[in-house]
Amino acid sequence: MSPALPVADGPSVRRYALELARRHPRLLGSAVGLHVLAAAASLAAPRLLGGLVEAVEEGTTLAHVDRIAPLLALFLLIQTVLTRYARYRSQVLGEQVLAELREDFVAHTLDLPVGTVEAAGSGDLLTRTSRDVEQLSWTTRWALPEWTIAVVSAVLIFAAALSVGWWVALPCLLAVPPLAVGLRWYLARAKDGYLRESASYSQINATLADTVEGARTVEALGLGRQRIDAADTDCADSYDAERYTLRLRTAFFPAMEVSYLLPMVGTLLFGGWLYTRGQVTLGEVTAATLYVQMLIDPVERLVAILDELQMGAASLSRLLGVALVPDDREVSGAQPLDEKLEARDVRFSYVEGRDVLHGVDLDVGVGERIAMVGPSGAGKSTLGRLLAGIHPPRTGSVTVGDVGLVELPLGDLRGHVALVTQEHHVFVGTLRENLALAAPPGAGDVEIRAALDAVDALEWVDALPDGLDTMVGSGRRALTAAQAQQVALARLVLADPHTLVLDEATSLIDPRAARHLERSLAAVLHGRTVIAIAHRLFSAHDADRVAVVEDGVITEFGSHDELVAAGGSYAALWDSWHGRGS
Amino acid sequence: MRSLPLDHPGVADHRGPGRFLWWMARGQWQTLLGGMIFGILTMSAQAVMPAVLGRAIDRGVAARDTRQLVLWAGVMLGVGLVYAVAGIMRHRFAVTNWLIAAYRTVQLVTRQAVHLGGTLPRKVSTGEVVSIGSSDISHLGQVMDISARFAGAVVSFLLVSVILLSTSVTLGVVVLCGVPVLMLLVGPLLRPLQARSAHQRQLMGELASTAADIVGGLRVLRGIGGEQVFLARYRRESQTTRQAGVQVAKVQSLLDALQVLLPGTFVVLVVWLGAPSAVAGEITAGELVAFYGYSAFLMIPLRTVTEFANKLIRARVSARRVCRVLSLTPDVTDPETLLPSPPPGSDLYDARSGLLVRAGRLLAVVSDSPDESAHLADRLGLAGEEVDDDVTLGGVPLTGLARAEVRSRIVVSDTGAQLFSGPLGERLDVGGRGGVDLALFTASADDILEALPEGLDTAVTEKGRTFSGGQRQRLVLARALTSDPEVLVLVEPTSAVDAHTEARIAARLREHRGGRTTVVTTMSPLLLDTADEVAYLEDGRVVATGTHAELLESCPGYRAVVTRDAEVPA
Repeated sequence: MSPALPVADGPSVRRYALELARRHPRLLGSAVGLHVLAAAASLAAPRLLGGLVEAVEEGTTLAHVDRIAPLLALFLLIQTVLTRYARYRSQVLGEQVLAELREDFVAHTLDLPVGTVEAAGSGDLLTRTSRDVEQLSWTTRWALPEWTIAVVSAVLIFAAALSVGWWVALPCLLAVPPLAVGLRWYLARAKDGYLRESASYSQINATLADTVEGARTVEALGLGRQRIDAADTDCADSYDAERYTLRLRTAFFPAMEVSYLLPMVGTLLFGGWLYTRGQVTLGEVTAATLYVQMLIDPVERLVAILDELQMGAASLSRLLGVALVPDDREVSGAQPLDEKLEARDVRFSYVEGRDVLHGVDLDVGVGERIAMVGPSGAGKSTLGRLLAGIHPPRTGSVTVGDVGLVELPLGDLRGHVALVTQEHHVFVGTLRENLALAAPPGAGDVEIRAALDAVDALEWVDALPDGLDTMVGSGRRALTAAQAQQVALARLVLADPHTLVLDEATSLIDPRAARHLERSLAAVLHGRTVIAIAHRLFSAHDADRVAVVEDGVITEFGSHDELVAAGGSYAALWDSWHGRGS
Repeated sequence: MRSLPLDHPGVADHRGPGRFLWWMARGQWQTLLGGMIFGILTMSAQAVMPAVLGRAIDRGVAARDTRQLVLWAGVMLGVGLVYAVAGIMRHRFAVTNWLIAAYRTVQLVTRQAVHLGGTLPRKVSTGEVVSIGSSDISHLGQVMDISARFAGAVVSFLLVSVILLSTSVTLGVVVLCGVPVLMLLVGPLLRPLQARSAHQRQLMGELASTAADIVGGLRVLRGIGGEQVFLARYRRESQTTRQAGVQVAKVQSLLDALQVLLPGTFVVLVVWLGAPSAVAGEITAGELVAFYGYSAFLMIPLRTVTEFANKLIRARVSARRVCRVLSLTPDVTDPETLLPSPPPGSDLYDARSGLLVRAGRLLAVVSDSPDESAHLADRLGLAGEEVDDDVTLGGVPLTGLARAEVRSRIVVSDTGAQLFSGPLGERLDVGGRGGVDLALFTASADDILEALPEGLDTAVTEKGRTFSGGQRQRLVLARALTSDPEVLVLVEPTSAVDAHTEARIAARLREHRGGRTTVVTTMSPLLLDTADEVAYLEDGRVVATGTHAELLESCPGYRAVVTRDAEVPA
């Protein structure tokens, strides 16, 4: 199993939650205060009604009714107005807290060492950025405020019921055993059950997306039966998960209903008995019964929201876990003397004990073009990443102007050396936003357009209906592979590093677009030091020097002509490439 | 409860959203009926509760009659238990109804996607079909789900009406007319709330995709140092979303306050109007308390009816989308009369381009425009948009054969071929005939397997994203080779692999296919060199054929395309 990203423990989640609450003392105080007042206002009605019932029994006048009715109306209005502001304040607070939470999380995620994310697999991080953030948003915007309100109401109503008479506490105690046992049993099982349930729907969606987006492949290879079976299996799995949670609720819901019912029946019986003994008035019995009935609603909500809160806490602990990943960079403050890139006896391993680079030395002169060739898995890409400062070497050093790449702050590093891989990720957003990612502060449309022009892309960008404002990325307007590549290259022009590491930057490109792109690439490379990891040999041919990487070491290093003359593995490849025997 | 999913979802009536929903409801009428019965029972139990409480106060407490008190307390307990038991049964039926509708839709759409095959992306946006899974199934499920509560709402409203009117006509009329009127008053607030919520949801969705982008784009960001700019953008969007949330809160909190005000108004009204009757002895104290209960209860059925209307509207929108997908037909269908199958080992010929693919040979196709070769590959496998009789196998037009036969005899593996998630071994061995190891060796993909701790049992993630582009391409090639068809058409099978690997694939491919017909469209000299024959196309017509070496020698156009001597990057 791959090492998962860390998860924060219970105490640190609670600490963080408290910290968040403390950041907004006024908002939190006013929201809770208003809720308390609103709940207090709501307590008048049963009391007044109880009084009225008693007065009716004892024979009263209409004047009494005319006094009570306006009072009822007044308390109702007060409660309405207080509820409005209490709800508003708490929703604003929820939004505020949520925004801080997600921004903190994204900031930490952006700082994650690439190696850690890759080792954990992208699935883990994707779950955190999507499902956990969504769960937490539901929790902070809805569940937490509702729960707080329910608690406040329940406490006040219970207090009001007690104010009618201490005897009311007795029937209320009847609810405690079923409530406590039911909750304990249910909460121990609910979280896993609901997580499994929601994962089963993600699986249904993923399979459907696979089938639909790969419909052509499904037809070509006759995979229809397999896809149908996969969908049916997903549904069956989901049904299993649903049946489990349904079983939980089948036991839990009735248990809760009974625990709400018992106090009400109990209050009526007990109150009625006390009334026959003359110990309480009819008004008190009525008011007490109505209060206990009133208590059902907040308690029901309080209970129903608990599993939401539980899942919210689990999501929060995963989001906070991201901040626990140790940084793999140590900024020293040293300034590079020049732009000379050097690797000295570099060894590196992704998995402990299994080095993929075994002592690589490389000097790259300023303005030099170096091509790196070699079989897949030989360590070319890894070396490229080390040369771009993405990973620190396990031993040895990679320096620019005698300063280690991992000692430079990320912002400075990219002015020296940048890396472009075969992944031409287009971010969701406008084209402008996609390009501005790499632009120095203060760069505007002029610089962006100039960069696009340099890579020969301005023409199609201007032809888009919304130009630079066109929304691109997953689910938006799809760019062709060639266009995505040009965007990646334009970003480089904007980032303007002295040294470029190109990791098979053109390899995923359809050959039909390659020629056009080579022109764009030439514009980017102009005037820079370039280390190109390439499989198209004609680009190696034009490099100043070619490094052949095999089994984690550089086995051949020299100009194209030298290597061809030397008759090594590069020469053999070159020959077969030109159709001269193999 | 029945076992889900159904073995076969049936044939849907997709002539319109209404008919589709009706078709769906008919298929699950038993559980819908069950849900409705328990729905009626649940809400009725809830509806009579105030009456029971009123009686208990009147006959038990006020009359100081312990027997009556115990009796009515017992009735209350009984009604409460009916409510609890019927409530959970209603819930179970409702969930089942939701699930049947949702799973059935997934099954229908999956089967339709398979049926449409390559036609699907040409006729409908794949995003639209995928969104059926992410949102429409739940809308369709919800309308089936709420039917139980809807039935309960209608019946309990009638029940309470009868009770109220039989007690006091004035109060009954006030409550029965007043509650719907007040509900209507809330209407104007709902529209801005829905608009603002929709706006907020959209922003939240965008924000979520921005965050999800980090996962795919972190390497890119790290490569160019775009983290801070990205974070600044995220913060900006996050704050905009927060502002939208505050706008929602403004309306939402008003609505929340109204939820207090409306039932409360009835309490005041009932007391004001009812108390004089009580004072005059026309109604009892307990009945007054019951009225208080009814006015609060009536909000529940009314809210349920509004909810039902909203969900029905949404379900119709979803049903319309499902119908649109279900009513599509594939471009290629089986002919009415099948022509006799050509014998195995027949030549494949395309009259339009003049391309002759000799049985048992490895033919490479090079075109001055690579689009043209991809297009030709599609036509050879009857996978293109236009269908004509130009392509023949052993003299028989492909259009005269059953679609399934063409697919099993000719397999086209194009550059867009997708790797499906699941256990790697199973996903590669599509026909279940074995031979994966040899295919992986030919595709020079054995190193990929070695790096996987679980080997062929490794789970492929969505679209094989954990593999690099070059790895994916080799796995797709291995899969095509494993399917081992009579004719295999490979489109640019090595465009994303390095030269060393390409050389190995080129050396192994011919032997692997030994004696089976293979067509490769490529520009790679390494692959071209191993082909039995190379056909060179200009403007979609074959202009020269021969071996790679012969064509290099004799055909300047070919030489220019293949070696790209004319243009070498600076």
